[in-house]
Amino acid sequence: MAPADLIDSGGKRAGGFGLLQSRLFWLVAVALIVMATVPSWASGYVLGVLTIAYYFGVFAMGWDLLFGYAGEVNFGPTFLIGVGAYAAGMLNSYAGLSVWPATFAGAAAAVIGGLMLALPALRLRGPYFGLITLVAVLLLQKLIVVFAAYTGGEIGMTVPSVLAIDPSVNYYYALVFMAVSGALLTAMARSPMGLILQAIGQDPIEAQALGFNVTKHKLVAFIVSAFFSGMAGALFVFYLGTVSVGAVVALGIDVQIIIAAVLGGRRTILGGALGAIFLIAASEYLRPIGELSNFVVAAVALAVLLFFPGGFLGWLLHPRAKS
Amino acid sequence: MLAMQILVDGFVVSALYGLGAIGFTIIFGVSGVLNLAHGGIMVTAAMIAWWAALSFGTYWGALAGVGAGVAAAYVTYYLVVRPIKFSPKIAEEEKEIFILTATLLWAIMIQEGIAYLFTSNPVTVRPLVPGVTAFLGVRTPTNELLIGVVCWLVIGLLYLFVNHTKLGKSVLAAAINPRGLALLGFDLPRIQAFVWGLYGLLAGIAGVLLATFIGASSNNVGDLTGSAFSIVVFGGLGSVPGSLIAAYIIGYFETATAYLVTPAIREMPALAILVLVLYLRPQGLLGRR
Amino acid sequence: MLAITRRIATAVVLGSGALALGLGGPAQAASNKGPINIGVIAPYSAIDGASIINGAEMAVDDINAHGGIMGRKIKLFKYDNHFSATEGVRAFQRAVNQDHVVAMIGIWISEIALAMEPWSGRLKTPFIVTGAASTQIPKHVHDNYNAYKYTFHDWLNSAFLADGVCDSSHDLLVKPLGYKTAYVMSEDAAWTKPLDNEYLKCLPKAGLKVVGHTRFSPDTTDFTPVFNKIEGAKPDVIITGIAHVGLKPTVQWHDQQVPILMAGISAQAGASTFWKRTNGATEGIVTTSAAVKGAALTRKTVPFTDAYTKRFGTTPAYNAYTTNDAFYFLKAAIERAKSTNADKVVAQLEKTNYVGNIGRVQFYGKNEKYTHGLKYGPKYITGVALQWQHGDQVAIWPKKVAKSKVILPSWIKNKKHASK
Repeated sequence: MAPADLIDSGGKRAGGFGLLQSRLFWLVAVALIVMATVPSWASGYVLGVLTIAYYFGVFAMGWDLLFGYAGEVNFGPTFLIGVGAYAAGMLNSYAGLSVWPATFAGAAAAVIGGLMLALPALRLRGPYFGLITLVAVLLLQKLIVVFAAYTGGEIGMTVPSVLAIDPSVNYYYALVFMAVSGALLTAMARSPMGLILQAIGQDPIEAQALGFNVTKHKLVAFIVSAFFSGMAGALFVFYLGTVSVGAVVALGIDVQIIIAAVLGGRRTILGGALGAIFLIAASEYLRPIGELSNFVVAAVALAVLLFFPGGFLGWLLHPRAKS
Repeated sequence: MLAMQILVDGFVVSALYGLGAIGFTIIFGVSGVLNLAHGGIMVTAAMIAWWAALSFGTYWGALAGVGAGVAAAYVTYYLVVRPIKFSPKIAEEEKEIFILTATLLWAIMIQEGIAYLFTSNPVTVRPLVPGVTAFLGVRTPTNELLIGVVCWLVIGLLYLFVNHTKLGKSVLAAAINPRGLALLGFDLPRIQAFVWGLYGLLAGIAGVLLATFIGASSNNVGDLTGSAFSIVVFGGLGSVPGSLIAAYIIGYFETATAYLVTPAIREMPALAILVLVLYLRPQGLLGRR
Repeated sequence: MLAITRRIATAVVLGSGALALGLGGPAQAASNKGPINIGVIAPYSAIDGASIINGAEMAVDDINAHGGIMGRKIKLFKYDNHFSATEGVRAFQRAVNQDHVVAMIGIWISEIALAMEPWSGRLKTPFIVTGAASTQIPKHVHDNYNAYKYTFHDWLNSAFLADGVCDSSHDLLVKPLGYKTAYVMSEDAAWTKPLDNEYLKCLPKAGLKVVGHTRFSPDTTDFTPVFNKIEGAKPDVIITGIAHVGLKPTVQWHDQQVPILMAGISAQAGASTFWKRTNGATEGIVTTSAAVKGAALTRKTVPFTDAYTKRFGTTPAYNAYTTNDAFYFLKAAIERAKSTNADKVVAQLEKTNYVGNIGRVQFYGKNEKYTHGLKYGPKYITGVALQWQHGDQVAIWPKKVAKSKVILPSWIKNKKHASK
């Protein structure tokens, strides 16, 4: 990697941005080119793993916008993902909506769900906000289970349509979706709006004193996060052809998304994608050790958290982290 | 008859919830940690109790389970929480999210470890006392009554300990104002370490009792954490009486729903109440802000 | 408990689907000389999931020891679906695209089988369901034969299971014990819908008036309210339909000394580890299963049961018998087809006529109601009823294999009405 001294040490927020951006830009460009060639040399199996990882990347990036920038710990990203996924799946199943309209409808449903959750929840702070988002997941889960006749309950339902059967086509859908989401989310995070969010996240009282409307900005962040999460959830459903609670509305998935974002590096957006790819790939790689694979992945993530708290991208971009 | 049944059943369930949550809230009060591996510690205690009971009998098994709870709490503190608290690499204001994430990861490790060693099938610990008793006209397993009694006995002992012993008083003081206590020359890290042991004891007892009542499996790790978390936030973070009141409100709501409506939606009204309370009174019932 | 997410495990690393091996290198396409790859799928950590895997391993070891299939060894690929439909589908995709299995066998839960069923058509790979019971599985094949013909249902569907329970209840409870009323208690799941429908129809015919019907959520943690309600209706017997949930209702029934016999289907009670898991609370439970030790339904039943028990330290659950069978009749079909081509194998599977561990395996035809479903009846397969007696599973029905009668647990009065 390029020498660390290129970045001025104190100036993570000051002068470093343009430079950082350009370096990151080239890194990402190279990575994308490599990723685009994967179907020509890898097996369908690798493509399948990466497809899942890319959707997870979008989940994690959406979460990072909310936490890394707005400073809100959303314990329930799968509430947004789940609303998008189930709305799309059920519209496809019962209303006969085809894949793409259903996907956008799913994203819209997630935005509405997000608004309903965020409007009151944003009055709360810290653990209380976290608890509300957590409870939202539990309530959604319960609703899905109670209305099992329509939703397939805990175990899941089959949707009639799928994006594609060919693994390469599915892979490109996921890759393009992740790239576009990543670009839009990064642009947003780097915009004045993103800077204000960051200021709010670090010191809401000061930000308010400076005249920024804290709630409004957080609400926008929530909506953007909801849109991408919901859409990713919907596409995920049409990739698999099934939707189940365990896959899209579960604390386990929430945990994974949070881990991916923290591992990748908070307040970086793209770190979420990196963390997700690592997480999914690692768990697949470890599959031969059987039931212990999840244990080892969690242990590795814990070690990274303890020893490299800046996450992968933080470590990549700031090898000498501030002390 | 039905009312009596709800009264008795709800009492025991609530007492169990309360016992499970108290430790969680004390830890938050004293060291500011929300331990999301809480359910993991309870399930560890339950599993070890079941396993040890196979060879040494129910009582030794229960004792081993409680011991395992204490051990698990200490491991959590020294392996996961302490390194983050004293890490120079992590900014002070971010330690909270780091501890949350780290304890979550730790919970997964516990859960997967247990599933690997004991499979994820639920197990039950044999009732500490067999048989049924007619109580207030309700045929209740004697063990269930015993659970209610043990829970309140432990809570009572805890009360005496905190209010009438020197060590207990310093724990209480640490929960109210850790910095002030440090200024007075108390060894805060030692008090914190002690509190983690105390916490393990409470969680361990709750875990073993739970296993004798409705069984436990590695899949319950998340449930149990979520349930304790909800009760504690509902009651007001750091407040023991608040947690107990919240445990009883949630416990009775769930029991009444299960009997009067249907067990299928047992948790939903309680969750809805929880959301409502948080909107109306975000600091919880007895929380300080 | 705020029951919340169950199974963080399941989902923890979503990636954790159900791969066997293969760290990413493209696998070799199936050649005509190498081993024949066959997949088996189940949730490992459940009693009734492990039994599927165990049953498969015994079949593969035996077949390979006797020359394999047309001289080619079977290579078994195992997949863990972690109780999730999504993981099941992913495993199926991976099994076919990466591991090149020629058939997929197993599945314990109906919802997962139903999610995977369309994929057997999309992936053009025979899929033999050995542990799920929903009538929808064969119904889909019947309604849309061309797309679904790759799926075979090698376990009695719920309607047949209910018939078996009704028949055995008539012989065991109505006549000798004078029972007249029943209360149906089932978990809310895909397989119990047709089961309950059939219970409500056939129990009255068998002489048991249904005085109540409860479907409880698989999430239920405390069954006291359920039993409370049932006791209020004063039935002579509780007829159950439980599989995914097993331990809690059993333990609470025992601890609270609910004074009513539980009979019907309690799938997990079919394996002997259930005794240890429940600390003996299963004593007195009556359940229908595929077979039980010592009951020679065919000449294969006893040797298989004994060999399995010796190897795995527990008696087989019902789906170990069926999964084990599936490998043998699949082998026969491949040998008759002289090919592993999916369409050819399917055509031969339809002609299956194989006496296996629990009876004669034949499948219903294209125009029959349960296409590709297992034929039910005394000449084919009926299952057995067993009761936990003194810590042991004892066959009590049908008569030809019965070793004992129903013994009531001590706290249940031997009278017409067991209420207080």
